[in-house]
Amino acid sequence: MPKLKQNKNGQTNSINQVRYGCALGALHSVVAIPGAMPITHCGPGCVDKQYMSLAFYNGFQGGGYAGGAVTPSSNLQEKDVVFGGAKHLDQLIAASLKIMEADLFVVLNGCIPEIVGDDIGAVVARYQAQGVPIVSAETGGFKGNNFTGHEIVTEAIIEQYVDKYARNKDQKQKGLINVWSELPFQNTFWRGDLTELKRILEGAGWQVNILFGYGSKGVQEWLTIPRAEFNLVVGPWLGLRTAKLLEKKYGQPYLHLPVLPIGAKQAAEFLRAIAAFAKENEVQTEKFIKEEEKEYYYYMEYFTDFYAEYWWGLPASYAVVGDAAYNLALNKFLVNQLGLIPALQIITDCTPEKYREAIGEQYKHLAEDVSAEVEFAEDGYIVGKLLREGQYGHKPPIIFGTTWERDIAKELKGHIVEVSYPVSYDVVLNKTYIGYRGALTLLETIFTTAISKSA
Amino acid sequence: MAKEGLRQIAIYGKGGIGKSTTTQNLTAGLTELNKNVMVVGCDPKADSTRLLLGGLAQKTVLDTLRDEGEEVELASIMKEGFGGTRCVESGGPEPGVGCAGRGIITSIGLLERLGAYTDDLDYVFYDVLGDVVCGGFAMPIREGKAKEIYIVASGEMMSLYAANNISKGISRYAAKGGVRLGGIICNSRNVDREIELLRAFAEELGTQLIHFVPRDNVVQHAEIHKQTVIQYKPQAKQADEYRQLAKKIEDNELFVIPKPMTQDRLEEILMEYGLMDTIENDYRI
Ligand SMILES: Nc1ncnc2c1ncn2[C@@H]1O[C@H](COP(=O)(O)OP(=O)(O)OP(=O)(O)O)[C@@H](O)[C@H]1O
Ligand SMILES: [Mg+2]
Repeated sequence: MPKLKQNKNGQTNSINQVRYGCALGALHSVVAIPGAMPITHCGPGCVDKQYMSLAFYNGFQGGGYAGGAVTPSSNLQEKDVVFGGAKHLDQLIAASLKIMEADLFVVLNGCIPEIVGDDIGAVVARYQAQGVPIVSAETGGFKGNNFTGHEIVTEAIIEQYVDKYARNKDQKQKGLINVWSELPFQNTFWRGDLTELKRILEGAGWQVNILFGYGSKGVQEWLTIPRAEFNLVVGPWLGLRTAKLLEKKYGQPYLHLPVLPIGAKQAAEFLRAIAAFAKENEVQTEKFIKEEEKEYYYYMEYFTDFYAEYWWGLPASYAVVGDAAYNLALNKFLVNQLGLIPALQIITDCTPEKYREAIGEQYKHLAEDVSAEVEFAEDGYIVGKLLREGQYGHKPPIIFGTTWERDIAKELKGHIVEVSYPVSYDVVLNKTYIGYRGALTLLETIFTTAISKSA
Repeated sequence: MAKEGLRQIAIYGKGGIGKSTTTQNLTAGLTELNKNVMVVGCDPKADSTRLLLGGLAQKTVLDTLRDEGEEVELASIMKEGFGGTRCVESGGPEPGVGCAGRGIITSIGLLERLGAYTDDLDYVFYDVLGDVVCGGFAMPIREGKAKEIYIVASGEMMSLYAANNISKGISRYAAKGGVRLGGIICNSRNVDREIELLRAFAEELGTQLIHFVPRDNVVQHAEIHKQTVIQYKPQAKQADEYRQLAKKIEDNELFVIPKPMTQDRLEEILMEYGLMDTIENDYRI
């Protein structure tokens, strides 16, 4: 058998237990924009697979207005491969425009048309010329995962739609910011999280283009992207590409804050960093922090009884298995606010190589005196192996991971909190684990999980 | 299923080298030996059976499939040509769209389902376009349909480059399937020392120069009349050349896994037979 190339953890080019979708999965980024509708040009099963994995067996988030069973698809057959599927796509777009109502249509292709060479841009351009709000994004699955796809889709909407229809692009609106953060649907709690993010940013005095989810004003909001004062990238890497594009396009600076804030300490740091960057809203920021902390610590005060007194099997060390954003965010919170010991950190989102070193640095300074190593791995077997070999002290750890980690958590006699795709044992509506409010919920989840183990 | 002993032959070679012309003329020769032959054009141009059909173009397999779906009659895509040859054109998408390679796979699959490979057939020829460009065009050899391959080449450098590349493809598929190279057919371009060069080239590949087909204007005359030379001018010397080629293929017993050359070695041979010199002269400013 030929020798397979392996990385230091022994991971080859094959993985089991998926931890993300393919580039076409970014059709969910379109679904996440109120009023937008994806039109997919791909083989049978592609959309269903992305939907079932990202939006169904992941918090049971559902399809809603434009996702799931609603998303139009060309359902390509052999004929389309041989003769090209451009005409077929044309028919699909025409039909969709007739029966689907949306403010913006985004045509995404899967692998087949991209390999065969269908020029979806040319097909879509004909509709654009007629003034139809429609863009095309080449999201062939081989381009990468849904994180990559998300950036492709975002860029397509900016280049082909926002840039064309936005007005007064160079009149910046003071205090308006664009937020690029979690990946809708992939991040199981994105709805609640983005709502909380928007809430705290608004509380600190900003006007916020949150762009995805209930708190977004949809396509109208996207049209104000060029007018924002700056772009805010919240998370270790996703969104940086978009921010750089906008910097080049509209001369907007961007602030990159790698840590998605969980808890009062992190949230205050976060809000202060933004105010300092823009030299704006400093007073409102402090005022808001004070109010929030008052509420936050009100609950904390009562929680401390439990935390101090309950000593039957609360975990002392933890492992996190998940995408870079949640992974780093949890680490910051668990170390700084709960004093837990980081045992093992595994990032599973196939982070582009160029960002990995900087992310590793973040883990070196989790707290003044706490540093951790981070692994990048995706294969289920390797993740399991790393977890099995982890050093957790004399008590079993708590694992923040995915449904895939359930078996190993049992094996280690530990606890598990599902925080990363796939989350198949949680039904998620608007739950958040970030900000001030999310942190409280996270505490509830962590310790309910821990104490109910013996129930 | 194809019967035991049916010889399925794929003809490869650089674009425009004379694959279609040679294939049709030699199959005409085979019919004179009372052989039952089917010719399958594997080229979106669909010009592989024109000389056998007298220009009477049948609808291509893929066009039929596109317009009528899978429920087609064999008769609507297979026409009888000169000497009882059965002629099929796989066809393909318009230039610049779709995947012609996949089209070949699709249409050969359909031919099989429709029962085109009957027991009375002695030969099936696949006339494949240009160079081996993607997996789809390697279909006839990849799927173990054609086990026997002939490469049409001439004394021109690019044609030998192509032939060498095709040999690489063949040796790749030979490792797992039974596909073998039956020889090189020289379709002459009247280049100096052509026959020696082709002989040396074939030998280096581990195969044979199975026949040297001279260049002759009667081929074009016949082409204008939409006929093979054998039909157009049975008495012509060129018709005999094709008959000889047909006979040599019928009697061929040398089937090898080719040993493709390195670029350096190929250039060495070309140099040895003066080809590089001529080229240098040609391109001198
Ligand atoms: N021996 C020959 N003498 C004179 N003319 C020839 C000879 N062989 C081929 N030709 C001419 O060369 C031209 C190209 O031949 P042909 O179409 O058979 O090439 P081909 O290899 O099938 O090309 P393609 O790769 O485009 O399918 C034709 O016009 C044909 O008449
Ligand atoms: Mg030809």
